[in-house]
Amino acid sequence: MHPHRVGLFLFAVALAVCLLAYLVAVVPGNWFPGASTMTWSAAELSFTRGFGVVENDALVVTALDATGTAVISLDTDFRSNDYRAIAWNAIDVPERANLRLLWRTDYAPGKLNSVPLTVASGRLLPASLARDPNWIGRIRGIALLVQGPLPGPFRIRGVAAKPLGAIEIAGDRVREWFKFEGFTGTSIDSVTGGDDVQDLPMPVLLAAAALLAAAAAFLLAYRSGRIASLPAMLATIFVAAWLLQDVRWVVNLGRQVRATALRYAGHDSRERHLAAEDGQLYAFIEKVRAKLPQGPARVFMVADAPYFRGRGAYHLYPHNVLFDPYLNAMPATSRLRSGDFLVVYQRRGVQYDPGAERLRWDGSAPISAELVVSEPGAALFRIR
Amino acid sequence: MSLVTLFLGLLVPWLAGMSLLLAMPAQRRLSERGELAWIAGTGYFVGAFLLTLWMRALSRMGIDFGGFAIGVPLLAVAVGGGYLAWRRAANALPGTIRGAGRALLSPPGLSGVARWAWRALLLWVALRFLLLGVEVSWQPLFPWNAWSQWATKARVWFELGRIVPFADSADWFAADGTAYFDAGPHLPPTLPLLQVWASIALGRWDDALMNWPWWQFAVALSLAVYGALRTLDMSALAALVVTFFVSSLPLANVHVALAGYADLPLAACYAGAVLAVLRWTTTRELRDAVLTLVLALAAAQIKAPGIVWAATLVPGFIAALWPRRGVKIAAAIMAAILFGLLVLAQTSLTLLGYPFHLAFEPAWGALAESYFLLGSWNLLWYGALAATLLAWRDLVLPPLAPLTMIVFAGATLLFALVAFPGTRVAIADQTSVNRATLQFAPVAIVFAALAFRAFALRCARAGTGSELASA
Repeated sequence: MHPHRVGLFLFAVALAVCLLAYLVAVVPGNWFPGASTMTWSAAELSFTRGFGVVENDALVVTALDATGTAVISLDTDFRSNDYRAIAWNAIDVPERANLRLLWRTDYAPGKLNSVPLTVASGRLLPASLARDPNWIGRIRGIALLVQGPLPGPFRIRGVAAKPLGAIEIAGDRVREWFKFEGFTGTSIDSVTGGDDVQDLPMPVLLAAAALLAAAAAFLLAYRSGRIASLPAMLATIFVAAWLLQDVRWVVNLGRQVRATALRYAGHDSRERHLAAEDGQLYAFIEKVRAKLPQGPARVFMVADAPYFRGRGAYHLYPHNVLFDPYLNAMPATSRLRSGDFLVVYQRRGVQYDPGAERLRWDGSAPISAELVVSEPGAALFRIR
Repeated sequence: MSLVTLFLGLLVPWLAGMSLLLAMPAQRRLSERGELAWIAGTGYFVGAFLLTLWMRALSRMGIDFGGFAIGVPLLAVAVGGGYLAWRRAANALPGTIRGAGRALLSPPGLSGVARWAWRALLLWVALRFLLLGVEVSWQPLFPWNAWSQWATKARVWFELGRIVPFADSADWFAADGTAYFDAGPHLPPTLPLLQVWASIALGRWDDALMNWPWWQFAVALSLAVYGALRTLDMSALAALVVTFFVSSLPLANVHVALAGYADLPLAACYAGAVLAVLRWTTTRELRDAVLTLVLALAAAQIKAPGIVWAATLVPGFIAALWPRRGVKIAAAIMAAILFGLLVLAQTSLTLLGYPFHLAFEPAWGALAESYFLLGSWNLLWYGALAATLLAWRDLVLPPLAPLTMIVFAGATLLFALVAFPGTRVAIADQTSVNRATLQFAPVAIVFAALAFRAFALRCARAGTGSELASA
């Protein structure tokens, strides 16, 4: 057989072996359980302690109670034998909070059981309960315990009880690999390769399979005395592994292009900016630009968030704009001069007295300024 | 209409660069394998750099930017260089271009499954560039530094029709309106000028369409890699596979789709310079030597770390010039640099009032996660490690030794950036490790491919079969 075909065959077999080995390691019991995954939406969850609201199909946990605790609970009735894992679908979960899965059983109704939950990249990892001695009988209720600190709200989209069969686990991994990873602010520095949290990253599986196949190719080549065919086999193995990983990436890229098209296709440059994530800021800066002189004016751009300072400045060019890329600092009043403009966008501590036409910020002495454009949370001033 | 002028505007520097290279005296004919792809790929790098030099010259001379002032001289270069090339190889040129077109569908030496594999891979590469092209056309300027320190200059220079200085905030106040401010006032003007030219060709400011040069860099890099590998006697299919690896790096693709950062153009020019060194080691042609210098200069003019990357070419040159002792000399230089880093890590020297101390704070865990677990690099680092191990006996022997020295120097630089975070501020414009890696990644792929080929040749010599000819 041609060495390329042998290489391809070896890689396919090695990939299957590696997948199988992984499943042997992680499937906790029956490989093909009769039960299928049970899911509950955010609307079915309720607060036993703590505070929050249901918003856009998610339960938003906004505050803990006086004891620094929130409990989000759910009545259930399923056999513990059929379901070996509980997966909370939550995002923006505080990394430093103490989070536990609670449950009650019909076997010991008075006993409240719990296991700690792990947070990774703001998500809750599924809790595997197959080896927990308290996961027994029928499960009458589950809950999520949150104990502070809670720096900001987090969202729970639902919860699922999983039987953890082989097909389900394999399916979960494939879903993780092929989960759409849209472009974000961090994409320019790193590509995750699917879901934020992955139990088995695709490159690891492919590399393991390639290594196994390469070992087999070495053995084959040495035992058959056809060492010259080894490089062709190795090359085929590696190209096949690379191609599989690349298919994932190109599929993701295609979905990104579709998302971009839905948002921007058919629009001119201005409309694209209005449709972008900083569209509100762009719309405000458009009004500001309409009031600025034709030639480049000296403009100071301030905002609490560095993003708005930088983006606001970007939309203001070619005016001669100054912003602080790193610090939320206002310009020293002594450096301002008559005719300068000050753009304020979502910046606390800036006060304007329209009667006296005086402007002040952060405890500085008031200066004379004219309000040129005003919107809730945003304004343009001309310094006098 | 504006899209047509944009297309022509993007094409002109590319043609000018190709013509310049073709006009230079060279013994290798355009019809030789890989030559056309090499000229087409590196031609863009040269043309784009030439374009920005000309725009800088215009600004110095006080001539406002405009389609005529910029485009016509470049067109003249394209036509003049093309004419010279035509005069030298009038008979060969049409045949070469026709031959290249035919070879695209049916490369000589490939038949059956191999030919279909070639076509499928070519289509796969083309699909990627199509998707990236669509994304470039629609996605407004998105990544942070792109709108806070690069395109800021492009916007101002486009609107004012000339280069005006950018300064930090203290100098901005002192300049009294004659200087502008952004988050990176000291960055080189090369990339913003490419955006200015695209905007001039388009006839308006459009911060999506002005980013087509990033797509051009990616395509040109692929062409250059394919052409160089063919020149270095790699088979057509193997060269296409390596080109596919280079073109399919996810993080490199992101830098096209979310254009505006300097890392991909820097990676392309640096890779072009390294490939030119490799060609020069076999051809000893003046053109390849000049090209190396021009591309090294271009890399340095794209972003400050380009100067350091250009310096990594020196060990390669040494190893190529003195094959017997060059490797030892180059290795000694790099060992001295490593020793210097260690001394700086262990001491707290102060020279002329400046502290010279490097804190040793390696983030190996994050690096391993990024290189081996996440999706930024596909399987590049697994492959590079494997190829290095397989070819360890050939690494410091000709013809691989010059490239090994360059890669070793590049790896040393990456090591310094990872282990001594202070170096990222000092020499790499605070570039993240992943983006610094991107600047090196195409070279790493070429190295892995050539190392693997050295291993394959060794196997072919050791074995009895002849299957290796196809590897």
